[in-house]
Amino acid sequence: MSRRVAWYVVLVAVAALFVGPFLILLSAATKPAGQDVFGFPPDLIPRPPVGTWFREAWTTIPYARFLVNSVIYVGITVPAYLVVSALTAYPLARIAFRGRGVFFMLFLSIMFLPGELMLIPRFLVMSQLGLTDTFASVILPAILSSLGIFLLRQAFAQIPDEVVEAARVDGANEFQIFGRICVPIVAPTLAVLAILGFVSVWNSFIWPLVVLTSQSKFPIALGIAYLSGVAGTDVRGLAAGTVISLVPVIVVFLLLQKRILNSMGGAVKG
Amino acid sequence: MPGLKGRVVGQHRYTPYVFMLPGLLFYAAMFAWPAVIAIQLAFSDYDIVHPVRFSGLDNFVHLVHDPRVWIALRNSLLFVLMFLPLTVVAPLFLAMLVNLKLRAIQAFRMLYYLPVITSMVAVAVAWRYVFNREGVVNWVLGLFGAGPTDFLLDRHWALPTVVLLEAWKNAGLFMMIYLAGLQAVPSDQVEAATIDGAGPWQRLLYVVVPALRPTFAVTLVLSMLEAMRAFESVYVLTRGGPLDATLTLGYYIWSKAFQDYDMGYASAVGLLLWAIMIVLAGFNLLVTRRRDV
Repeated sequence: MSRRVAWYVVLVAVAALFVGPFLILLSAATKPAGQDVFGFPPDLIPRPPVGTWFREAWTTIPYARFLVNSVIYVGITVPAYLVVSALTAYPLARIAFRGRGVFFMLFLSIMFLPGELMLIPRFLVMSQLGLTDTFASVILPAILSSLGIFLLRQAFAQIPDEVVEAARVDGANEFQIFGRICVPIVAPTLAVLAILGFVSVWNSFIWPLVVLTSQSKFPIALGIAYLSGVAGTDVRGLAAGTVISLVPVIVVFLLLQKRILNSMGGAVKG
Repeated sequence: MPGLKGRVVGQHRYTPYVFMLPGLLFYAAMFAWPAVIAIQLAFSDYDIVHPVRFSGLDNFVHLVHDPRVWIALRNSLLFVLMFLPLTVVAPLFLAMLVNLKLRAIQAFRMLYYLPVITSMVAVAVAWRYVFNREGVVNWVLGLFGAGPTDFLLDRHWALPTVVLLEAWKNAGLFMMIYLAGLQAVPSDQVEAATIDGAGPWQRLLYVVVPALRPTFAVTLVLSMLEAMRAFESVYVLTRGGPLDATLTLGYYIWSKAFQDYDMGYASAVGLLLWAIMIVLAGFNLLVTRRRDV
């Protein structure tokens, strides 16, 4: 056996470790009623695979509602996040003004105010604003993040001076330079941030749990948690519902994996 | 930082502030204002129903005498101790594996990364099937003669199981960070070491690890902060149980605030966690700065 084959064996074995739990979930979601979900030895191949549990999860729990809600949350949050981050990052990278360093540190300090610790005060801010249990309460805290400002500031700073100077000579003002020249140039960074934003909003769970009370406004991840509470013993329905929730993220990931994976290392390295 | 010298001056004094206005508004409303409220609450009594009442240091006095805070602190520190080798050391080997020049290696990177993009809730549900009393893990252990264990219901196994799940979910992220670091290691150094007769372990210890110092600094601080604030996984897997075995500071804050509605006290514990995280991050910064000089 060649060395290369041996490496592939190792790679596949490790892959089983990371994909296995999802396959076991899929198996639980597609097994017919007569076949045990658990038991020794594990009987993982559904005979035959059935779609019953997906249909059941879809009808007994307002799954479609949760999915639509998540699409709304992503659809509003991500564009707003990109616009606010770009506007904030631009002067920090390209305009000389007093206190620029201080403003940059201010926005970076967000990193040290982790969401978990902000649950209580943000909940109170939302009630002061009369926004608890609204779509806005879920969206507003997710619009500003230090990662977006940090990455976009770097991208804006790397634009060559000549490009901007040419526009300035032609009489463009700062807002035109920003919108027509600089934003298109940093489009790849915006795309990466859009993907990261999508994943994080789609998976968000704790904050909606705290601020929402109406089930009709739940995003999908909270819907799953709800399902696991309501249908505690229905192991197949829960598995089916969870599989449904995973499909959109996995599809986006498969389509854009190269961009996501390449960005990750770079993003953290800064 | 490249190219951050001043560019435009004079066109309009207020231009930068006009750009930053939305960002500053969100900063004020979603970060600064809540931070002020958190500090104020830590010195108050508040149960949502009655108005906020200033209570001085009462919460902190209570905190010192609250045995569950110490249990939570101990569990959080245990969490960090078990989490660090799983996220700082193990993913380096993953990264070296997917750094091999083999066909379809990108596909394996993708598979290892999969848990990172999925929600903690979904991951927790998937793991319930794996760690169930009659699940796959217990079957494998049974082959070696070990009796079935209810991992999440067992006082000794619950915390390690939660840590394992968190580490598994984050391994792909740490792997990608290391991969970026590995690809920046000059290959001529590695080759030189090979020619000098260094085996794979020697190359790792004497060439790769020293070259990865800045990367270790990043993963170490990320890993510590992640472990210190562990909450989501605890919430969906064990709710702090059994018998407080998985009660972390993050979960304790949540349960005090949103189960007992003891918002003031929860905020005081929040400040404690916040302080620990800042100390950890600051310590890390200090250590890595010194190394770089």
